[in-house]
Amino acid sequence: MKRREILKIGAAAASLGFPAIIRAQPKEIVMLGLWDQTGAFADVGPLNDRGMRMALEERGMKVLGQPIKYITRDGATQAGTSTRRAEEAIDGEGARFMIGPWSSGVALAVSEVAKRKKVLHFFSGGTEDISGARCHRYSFQWAASPYTAAKTVVDNFMKANPKAKRWHLLVADYAFGWSVEKYIKEVGKTHGLEFVGADRHPLGEREFSNYVQKAAANKPDVVAMINFGGDAVAGAREIFNFGLTPKLPLIMCWSSGVEELIQLAPEIRENLWVGSNFYYTADTPVAKEFVKNYRAKFGTPPGYAPSAAYSMTRLMLAGFDKAKSSEVEAVIKALEGIEVNDLLGRMRVEPATHQTLRPYFFLRCKPKKAMKEELDFADVIATGDSPLPKEYAACKDIGGF
Amino acid sequence: MNLLLGQILNGIATGMLYALMGLGLSLITGVLNIPNFAHGALFAIGAYFLVSVVGLLGNFWLGLLVAPIGVALLGLLIEYAGVRRLYAAGHDYQLLFTFGLALILNELIIVIWGPVGISHLPPAILRGGVDLGFTFYPKYRLFVMAMAGLLVVATWLFLEKTRYGAIMRAGIENKEMVSLLGIDIHWLFTVAFALGAYLAGIAGALTAPIRGLSPGMGVDMLGIAFVVVALGGLGNLLGAIAAGLLIGVAQAVVAAYWTEASTAVIFAVMAAVLLVRPQGLFGIR
Repeated sequence: MKRREILKIGAAAASLGFPAIIRAQPKEIVMLGLWDQTGAFADVGPLNDRGMRMALEERGMKVLGQPIKYITRDGATQAGTSTRRAEEAIDGEGARFMIGPWSSGVALAVSEVAKRKKVLHFFSGGTEDISGARCHRYSFQWAASPYTAAKTVVDNFMKANPKAKRWHLLVADYAFGWSVEKYIKEVGKTHGLEFVGADRHPLGEREFSNYVQKAAANKPDVVAMINFGGDAVAGAREIFNFGLTPKLPLIMCWSSGVEELIQLAPEIRENLWVGSNFYYTADTPVAKEFVKNYRAKFGTPPGYAPSAAYSMTRLMLAGFDKAKSSEVEAVIKALEGIEVNDLLGRMRVEPATHQTLRPYFFLRCKPKKAMKEELDFADVIATGDSPLPKEYAACKDIGGF
Repeated sequence: MNLLLGQILNGIATGMLYALMGLGLSLITGVLNIPNFAHGALFAIGAYFLVSVVGLLGNFWLGLLVAPIGVALLGLLIEYAGVRRLYAAGHDYQLLFTFGLALILNELIIVIWGPVGISHLPPAILRGGVDLGFTFYPKYRLFVMAMAGLLVVATWLFLEKTRYGAIMRAGIENKEMVSLLGIDIHWLFTVAFALGAYLAGIAGALTAPIRGLSPGMGVDMLGIAFVVVALGGLGNLLGAIAAGLLIGVAQAVVAAYWTEASTAVIFAVMAAVLLVRPQGLFGIR
C-alpha cells in the first residue's frame, strides 16, 4: 500500500470519528436504563423499560427544555457485564443519569461505577447496602428498606393470624434475601416467633421439591419466602403441589405483585399473603393515571418492576425541576430531602442515607370465587412505612462529591 | 431418615426427567456428532405445546400424546431442512446452526406465548398427594416418575431389541461402516434427531405442571442435559440414564443438608467423575 493511500484511509477514519466525539458532548441529557434482557431477570428488564419510557414520554422526552436521549443496555443480570456496559454508556454515549439494574447483587457493583464516574444512580431493590453500609453520594434507593418491608409483613400477618408462631423461611441466597431475612427475624422476636427452619437457595433455582419437603418436615404454621420472580413462582407452585398450601398460609415477603401472581393459577394463590413495593390498586391520583395508561398500552396492570422504573424516573425528573439544573451534583443536592406526593402517596428521600421513605404494601390473595376479574388478585390489607430505626442504620456518612 | 427417603424419591423423579433429556441429547450427539444446543429450546416447546393443546382440546392426556409428537416433527424439520445441509460444511457450522436455532426458538416462544411465565396445573385426577408413610408425596410426581421410567425403558428396548435400534447404535459406533452396508445414513440421522426431539418434548410436557412455563426454562435444562451426557459418556445411552438419576439424587440429598449447594453439586459430581473417568461413567472414548 502506498503512503498516500494510508493517509487517505486515515483521513476517512478521522472524519468518521469526529461526529462521534461531537455526539459525546451533547446538549441533550442522556439517561441510561440498565435493564436486563438476558440472564436470571431477562423477563423483568423489558417491564422496567416500559415504566421508564412512559415516565419520559409523559414529559415529551424533555426536561428543563432540554431533550432527553434515553438509551438502554442489557446487563445480563451479571455484575461484570452490567458494569462494563454501564461504563461504555457513560464514556461512549455521555450518560450522566442511570437507573437500574434489577438484581441487588449486581446493582451494588453498578453503584461503585456510579461513584467512580460521578454519575447519578437510582436503584430499586432489596439490598439495604445501597442506602446502608455502602452508601455514597451518587446512588439512591427507591424500594422500601428491608426493615420497612419486614415490619409491614410480620406485624400485619400476625395481626390476622396471631397463632401462627412457627415460621419456616425459604431465602434467596444473595444480598437481597439476606437483608430481608435479617429483619424478618428481628421483627419476629417482638412477636415471639419461632423460626423452625431457614433454608437458602441459589438465585435461579427451579427445583423446589427438595426445599418444600424439608419445610414440611419442620411442621411449620406458616412458610415465608424471601425470594423473587421466577424463584418465588416456582417455590409457590411446589408448595402447593406438595399440599402445604392452602392448608398453611404462604407469605411472599418481597414480591412484584402482578408479575408473579399472574403466573400462578388461582388455586395456588389461595391463602397466599404478599408483601410488595407496589400494587396496582394503590389509591393515589398518579397511580390511577399510570395504571390506566399502562393497561391501555400493554393489557395487564403494572407490577412492581415497571412501576419502580416509572416512579424512579419521575423522582429523578422532579430533582431536575427542583434544581433547575441538569448538572449531576445539583440534581443530587435537590433530591436529598425532596418530598413529593407521587405514585405511592407521600414519598421523601432521606438526605443522610439516600433511602426513599415510602409505604410498603401487604396483600392477601383472593380465593377464586371472590375475584371480580382475571387480574383481581388481591386486596391491600395494610400499608406500612416504619423507617429503619437509627440503631440499625449502617450508612454513617453519605460522603461528598 | 424420613426426610432422606423423601429426598431420594424427589431425586429419582427429577433424575428421571434429567435422564430423558440426557438420553435424547446423547442420541443426537452420538449419531450426528454435534452438540445440539437447541435441545433446551425443544424441551421448552414441548411444555408450551402441551399447554396450547390442553387449552384447545381441554384434555391433558391428549396434550401429553400430541405435544411431543409435534416437537418430534419440528426436530425432523430442523434436521431435514437445516442440519442436513451443513454436513458438508463441517462441525463448526452445525454447532453454530443449533446455537442460533436455540436463540430463535427462544424468541419465538416469547413472540407466540409472551414473556410472562404460565402456570399449568396437573390434571384433576393427579392433583393432591398420597401419604407414603414416610412422607406426603404429590400424585403427579409419582406419575412423572412412572411415565419417565416407562419412556426410558421403551427407548432402551427400541435401541436394543429392534433392527432399527441396532442400526442406530451401529451408526453411533461407526457411521462409515453403516453407510457402506447400503443403509441410508441420512435417513438414520433424521430419525435419531426426531427421536431425540421427542424425548426432549415429552420431558418438557411432563415438567410443565411441576415447574410451570417460562421462556427461559429450556436454558436451565440444557446445561443439566449437557452435564448428563458428559457424565454418562458421549453417545452412551445407558450412561445417560445412570447419570441423570445420579445427578437428580445427588441434588436432592445435598439439599436436605446444605441447600445452598444444591445447584453446585450437579457440577461438582460431574467434575469428580470426569477426574476419575474422563470418558464418563460408561463411555469408551
